[in-house]
Parts: sequence; C-alpha cells; structure tokens
Amino acid sequence: MTKGNSLAAIIIGCKNGDAECFSQIVDMYSGRCYGYFYRLTGNGDVSDELLSELFVKLVENIGSYKGGVFESWLFRIATNIFHDHLRAKQRRKRLFESFDIQKRGLEPQTPEPKKSEGEITDKLQVQLGKLDDGTQELIMLRFYSELSLKEIANLRAEPIGTTLSRLHRGLKKLRELMG
Amino acid sequence: MNGGNEDNFKELFERFVGPEQAGEGAEDIFKGEQILRENPAPGPSRELIAGIKSDIARNLQRRRENVFRRTRYEVAAVAAAIIVAATIGVQVFERGWGEHKAAYGSIVPAAIWDSKNISVDDAGLALLTARVDEMENEISTLQKDKNGNGDKAVEELEVEFIEIDSNFSMGQLLWM
Repeated sequence: MTKGNSLAAIIIGCKNGDAECFSQIVDMYSGRCYGYFYRLTGNGDVSDELLSELFVKLVENIGSYKGGVFESWLFRIATNIFHDHLRAKQRRKRLFESFDIQKRGLEPQTPEPKKSEGEITDKLQVQLGKLDDGTQELIMLRFYSELSLKEIANLRAEPIGTTLSRLHRGLKKLRELMG
Repeated sequence: MNGGNEDNFKELFERFVGPEQAGEGAEDIFKGEQILRENPAPGPSRELIAGIKSDIARNLQRRRENVFRRTRYEVAAVAAAIIVAATIGVQVFERGWGEHKAAYGSIVPAAIWDSKNISVDDAGLALLTARVDEMENEISTLQKDKNGNGDKAVEELEVEFIEIDSNFSMGQLLWM
C-alpha cells in the first residue's frame, strides 16, 4: 500500500469515527504541527494548547475534508488556530492597556505564558522573531507542512511569484541573521 | 522535515529571472531551509500526545452517544407521529366518510303552502288584496265623478297603486 493509499484509508477510518485511525493521524502529524506552532509562538505551553485544539478541530471537522492534499487541509486549520490565538492575544493586550495597568503598578503587558521549566530558547527562535510575522509564518508553513510552493500559494490565496519571492527574501534574511 | 515537496526552485525562479539569478535564488532557499533542518524544534511530550489521544477517544464516545440519543429521539418522534396518524385514521373510518346529514327546510309556512285560498289564509296577502280592492273602488268612483278635478286624483291614485303593485311584486320576488 502506498503512503497516499494508506493515508486515504486512515482518513476514511477517521470519517467513520475510528479512534485508532485518529490515533495514527496524531502520530503522523503531531510532530510537524507542534514544530509549526512552537516556531511561531516560541512557547511550549502555548504550543501544547494549540496542538490539542488542532486535533479537537480535526475530529470535529473531518467530515468536511473532501479530498485533495490532506496536509493542505490540516495546515489550513492549524493556520486558522494560530491566527485565532494571535487575535485573542491582541484582545487581551488591548484590554490590559484600556485598564491602564501600568499606572496601577500591576502586570504591565499581556501575561505571556511562562516558559516551561528547562526550556531554552534556541538561537534560531530568537532570529526568527526578528522576521516579520507574515514571512515567519510562510517559512514555517513551507517547512513543516511539506506542501509544494504552488499548494502554499493556493492556501494563502496569493500568486506563486509572490510566495516564492517572500520565501526567498525571508530565508535569505534568516541565513544572514544566523551568521 | 520538508522532504515531501518536490519543488524545483531553479525552474520556478527562471519564470521570473535569468538562469544565473535563478540558481542563486534556489541556493538561498536550500541553505535557508538547511538551517531549519539543523535546528529542529522540540517535539510534543509523550504526555501531551497521550492526552490528545485520550481526548479524541472521549470526544468520539460522546459523539457516538449523541448520535445514538438523537436517533432514538427521532425514532420515538416518528413512532409517535405514526400512532397519532393511525388513531385519527381509525376514528375517521369508524365514523364513516359518507354519512353527511342534510337538513331540508322551507321558507314558506306550511299553512300557506297547503292553503286552497291563499288570499284568505295569508293575513298579509288578504290585507293587500283588500287595499287593492278599496283603491279600485275609489278609482271607479272618481272616474264616474263628473267634476273635472277628478283627473288629478285618479292620477295620484294610479301612481300609488303602481307603487304598491311594484312593492308587492318585489316582495314576492324576495319571498320566492
């Protein structure tokens, strides 16, 4: 059985509500999806939450998967979850600002979840933070989804030339930053 | 990571730039992604994966129960509808569809209907007949009168008579 056929069989099992098939999907994609969230948020606890949410959504929405590249469908959900996370973060930040917490001597910024014990921010994570959000997201999407550039361009609803150009600029900059 | 896609970046770049720049661009991308490969992100913990799988199993179980409960309610609702429809149907058939009771009535009183001399038995008609007779007599009297003023009086009486006759005819029509 080829990889595609095997994946198709697993997805059919998921659609039929087979817990074992979902378990296989988790084994197949949790590493990549976690890496995607981790590199975008730089935080292990947040990545844990986002990954859990991703698989909850996967179970809820597997019926809406109508074929095509599964990674494209999965990472579209992952991207939406990440965007929701960013929006929630922005809302919290605005809320704290509106209460003018700094003047009251309380927590000055949106309370970022603390890093897990023993978590070390690697050099790459630091340098990625210097890229703009859109470029960082594109590089991570390309790297962890393993989608072709054409599929990524489709997912982002932009011309392939734009995607290629942004990816090239971003990776070149990252290389320079990493020295 | 990133071994799945088969993009030929050099070819893609060549759509937009010259071959030399395309080669450089493809190399930039390859080396950039090489950095990502050399610096892998941490993976999810085993506890997290176990937790996710356990959540999925619980979620699926809950969904199955919900589907079963919904199906049970749907079956119960359909059964109730069938029972109600059947009950109504049986009651209707027991009463029978064709037994329509019709009531007939006459707007003409039976006494008048059976009468042999309607102008006597119907009080209203008797009164009218008497009045008409009286008017006829008056007209005759007036016609016999040698006085010239009699023409106008006759005319008035004729008009009155026509009016009564007309009302009587209309009354008859309405009565019919």
